[in-house]
Amino acid sequence: MADKVGRREKERWQGESLTKTMKRVKVYRLEENGKWDDHGTGHATIDNIMESGERALAVVDEEDNDTLLLHNITPDDIYRKQEETIISWKDPEKALELALSFQEAEGCSFIWENMCNIREELQSEVLSSHEVGPQPAQKSLKASSDSLSRDKPLCKASSGLQGLPPLELSNLSVILKTILEYGMKEQMRVIDLISEDRDFFPKIVKLFRTCEGLGDMDGLHMIFKLIKAIISLNSSAIFDVIFSDDLILDIIGALEYNPEVRNVQNHRAFLKEHAVFKEAIPIRNASVVSKIHQTYRINYIKDVILPPKVLDDATLASLNTMIHANNAFVVCLLKDDALFIQELFAKMRSSNISAGSKSELVSFLLEFCDRSKSLQPTQQIQLFRDLASQGVFDIISDVLQSQDKVLVSDGTGIILHFLNQDPNLLGSYIANQEENRREGVSLLGLLVQGMVTEFGGEVLSQFLEILKILLEFAPNTVTHCRAVIEFFYENHFDILVDVIESSCLPKSIAGSTFGSDGAGRRFDEYSAKPEILSNICEFLCFCVVHHPYKITVNFFTRNSMEKILTLTRRRERFLVVAAVRFMRTVIGRNDAFLISHVISQNMLKPIIEAFVENGDRYNMLHSGVLELLEYIRKENLNSLVVYVVESFWSQLLRFEHLKSIQAFKIKYQEFVESAETKQTTSVGHMGKADERGLDKDSNEGSATQTASEQQQSMVTSAHGSEIHHIPARPKSGGLVDYDDDAEDYNTSPKRPLEDDEALNIPMEGHSSSDGKNTDGKIPKKPKLDAGISFSNMSIANVAGRQSDLKDKQPLLSPVSGTENSGGNDDVGDGNPGSPIQQHAPESLDLTHKTGDDCIGAAGEKKMEADSAKATDSEPDTSK
Amino acid sequence: MGTSDLDRQIEQLKRCEPLAEGEVKALCLKAMEILVEESNVQRVDAPVTICGDIHGQFYDMKELFKVGGDCPKTNYLFLGDFVDRGFYSVETFLLLLALKVRYPDRITLIRGNHESRQITQVYGFYDECLRKYGSVNVWRYCTEIFDYLSLSALIENKIFSVHGGLSPAISTLDQIRVIDRKQEVPHDGAMCDLLWSDPEDAVDGWGLSPRGAGYLFGGNIVTSFNHSNNIDYICRAHQLVMEGFKWMFNNKIVTVWSAPNYCYRCGNVAAILELDENLNKQFRVFEAAPHESRGVPAKRPAPDYFL
Repeated sequence: MADKVGRREKERWQGESLTKTMKRVKVYRLEENGKWDDHGTGHATIDNIMESGERALAVVDEEDNDTLLLHNITPDDIYRKQEETIISWKDPEKALELALSFQEAEGCSFIWENMCNIREELQSEVLSSHEVGPQPAQKSLKASSDSLSRDKPLCKASSGLQGLPPLELSNLSVILKTILEYGMKEQMRVIDLISEDRDFFPKIVKLFRTCEGLGDMDGLHMIFKLIKAIISLNSSAIFDVIFSDDLILDIIGALEYNPEVRNVQNHRAFLKEHAVFKEAIPIRNASVVSKIHQTYRINYIKDVILPPKVLDDATLASLNTMIHANNAFVVCLLKDDALFIQELFAKMRSSNISAGSKSELVSFLLEFCDRSKSLQPTQQIQLFRDLASQGVFDIISDVLQSQDKVLVSDGTGIILHFLNQDPNLLGSYIANQEENRREGVSLLGLLVQGMVTEFGGEVLSQFLEILKILLEFAPNTVTHCRAVIEFFYENHFDILVDVIESSCLPKSIAGSTFGSDGAGRRFDEYSAKPEILSNICEFLCFCVVHHPYKITVNFFTRNSMEKILTLTRRRERFLVVAAVRFMRTVIGRNDAFLISHVISQNMLKPIIEAFVENGDRYNMLHSGVLELLEYIRKENLNSLVVYVVESFWSQLLRFEHLKSIQAFKIKYQEFVESAETKQTTSVGHMGKADERGLDKDSNEGSATQTASEQQQSMVTSAHGSEIHHIPARPKSGGLVDYDDDAEDYNTSPKRPLEDDEALNIPMEGHSSSDGKNTDGKIPKKPKLDAGISFSNMSIANVAGRQSDLKDKQPLLSPVSGTENSGGNDDVGDGNPGSPIQQHAPESLDLTHKTGDDCIGAAGEKKMEADSAKATDSEPDTSK
Repeated sequence: MGTSDLDRQIEQLKRCEPLAEGEVKALCLKAMEILVEESNVQRVDAPVTICGDIHGQFYDMKELFKVGGDCPKTNYLFLGDFVDRGFYSVETFLLLLALKVRYPDRITLIRGNHESRQITQVYGFYDECLRKYGSVNVWRYCTEIFDYLSLSALIENKIFSVHGGLSPAISTLDQIRVIDRKQEVPHDGAMCDLLWSDPEDAVDGWGLSPRGAGYLFGGNIVTSFNHSNNIDYICRAHQLVMEGFKWMFNNKIVTVWSAPNYCYRCGNVAAILELDENLNKQFRVFEAAPHESRGVPAKRPAPDYFL
């Protein structure tokens, strides 16, 4: 039979030679081992199987005319066309996976189209098979498609659509079939036919009501399919009709009878009884009200009744466009209704409204802001300006003082809309308010307070987001944003640190033995929720990155860094990890000032102690601290290397089996050796890099450093009273080679400096040149004079904990030449913990330095699409 | 959050009903406490069943549990990419997370490249949270948790498991130790590579990845990595394979893919890899659940509306 099929096909196709190559295919079958097995080469045809009337795809061997393949085409969605020349499917009955690889793309698409057409026919037959007996019209249609099926059925039939059969229950299946069949190729014609008939939908609705009244499920299912097919025609003209006030509920009613869902859905009941249109302020314009209802219902159809996958993307997009246009229409009319806006604000300001209606008003305003996204950008900007001048921020300030979680949450939602639209509106309001504030409410204060407050027992993380956007400093920002940052640090920053401090174990209890036995860790009498502490810590990292100068000043003057690090005393490990991360962010600035502050205040102590106490547990704390040490080592932050080894080696000794700890010590040794070889005069006891020496020194040494622009430096030992001047520059024979302008960290002699001058110098440098590099200024100072004795600074709370530093005042001066030590550039270029800071260059690849381009999300999209495509063709039959 | 609460939530999630926002937050906090204790190379004991990408195909994941057995009766290791693309990322991830909190030693979840803020904003999880909860808070909680997920697993010291593949920055497992994983997946570096790289026949050594992140790596890289770390083979996911699993490089690396009919249209089967206590392998192949999207409304809209 297959032979015959082949011959008949030839007759039909024009030009025998063309046909032969066109339909030449290789047949592949997926074997159990996952390989595609070649089952021979032949010619593909499509034909009727006489006995059953089914249509089959056949492949006849090109040499012996044997049937290589005979497959009944099914209406199920099992076929895939891959690339240009492959058709594959999984035969559910025989549990086979098969693929045809065509010689020519043309032949492949020819067979593919035929198969698609046949499937469509089969599908509509399946659909209509539940129906009352075949109608004459259907018969003739079927007959015609039969006679055409071996040719290109739709090409011929395409001229044939004259009209739709009259709308009667008995004709529904034919109409459905016609729409499905012609909907693809003659979509416009079908749409015209439906739209021209003004009674079309009223008649469907009438039929629907009749069927529903009679409980005729078959009829109802058919109407569901019909409505779904019509919606899928994706015609805005039709949408306008079926989503009109008169029809939409009946259309939704018809969509309750999805034959694929066992239970009838009660969509109308939900819309009529549960969904409530709330008019916070009565809307007088009837067309606006009508659009509001329509929008809600279209959304409902889109999201609930015909969720994604049921509707195709194009139809979905059209519905979204309609929703979008409706929103714009509604918001536009309301915003221009001066009376309406006035009434809204008057009511919100009024003191004698119930909590309930206030809540409603704020919810309304939130939705109003949300929907305004559908406006043109200029209109939207204008709207937000108008709202701001109406006093929206006063109302928000009022709202934020509530304890009602929903109300506050709505308030933050409104603020976020403003910030995303134009941060300057809120910025100027806040700047103004802070400027003139004496006693009254501070919105900025409320926002900061919001971050550390529970509303009805819940923490609202929106406050963190708000503060981040508000305080994200962009170079082109208007001055008042700069002012907002000033005010924030001046008036509100300390609250955050105080919350941390009061939630962590006080120093007096912790003492110097804190943490060694973990006994102190139960302390949390007054304690903010861990969530709050975690949010604050994340925000502080943000501040370090975005306002390094402002926050550095705060660190110096308020001793806040030490307070923040008390987080390491919390028993929640993720908070300890957060504290490590904070320290990592600080050190990641590569700012000589911050680093020297860390060293002089011995601020790695709590970090190292937490690490040691954690013991051999390989968890996030362990990895976080190791990464911090790796960073210090790889970035050649030698003052920190010296500080860590000399201060903590006895504690770290037990971790020497870890590669990064080993490497850290080696780094120290190399550094010390290279420092020695650089010396012009010999130094007695600097080379204490061996373990014994370290052990002895470990509790005493405080690292000290100075940098040398003149390529000159000094070496000090932990004990050192000697000052050794050594030329920094001569190429040391040591392992570490210091470039001229790279970090030239060296230990410096401890030389007591009593004055505060040193402190003042850099501070001036900072404050006078916000956004400029400190190092441009400082290193000009003679090195020794520029040294800062931090332990002598008038910073409180240091002395007690700093016993080991007390009589060895470290000398510090800014490091010269470090490219990235420009920590006072308040224009952040990344997020805290941005990848740039996370990975030292050394950790990158060896092979292709160019290959590590960032993947933007969009890039990934393309790439993923590509990979999906590529993997789609996994059964690579062409091999 | 007691065990009974958790059991109730697991039952609810198994019906594909998402948790309330407050419950998600509590669950995430609990998960955070557990995950923070896990190592970057999490040790896993055999017997264990390894699963590849799920991508929010909730009902297909239920097929997976049908084939592989319920947690905790079966121990599981999921290789990431729980979210995006499918319609039920929220339910899928929360069910796995709830199981993790309930049976921390029975189920291991490691991070895939889709467990990222940036990627989920493009591929569906963000939108899904917004649609199902009306706000992105749940997305925030979940992405916060993503930062805590471990990066890889080591089964009985013999099988290294990771979502993507190897990194030129990582030649020994110990080098993974010093990654601070509490961060958004970076655009380059070791952590990025582990989640993004792919093995590739046509590459000798390291090659540029068409994905724009991570690398392609050849058989020689795998051989030397396995040798120097004394492991038998690498088990990874990340790439669709039509047969559900695929060995490469002389059985030195295997890809396991657990999202049947990926994106509801790729027509592939899925697989999981069962290892018994002696590390004997058995692949279990399974197909997509019938008619996944039926009967479950994607969303119950808020009943009140102003506009």
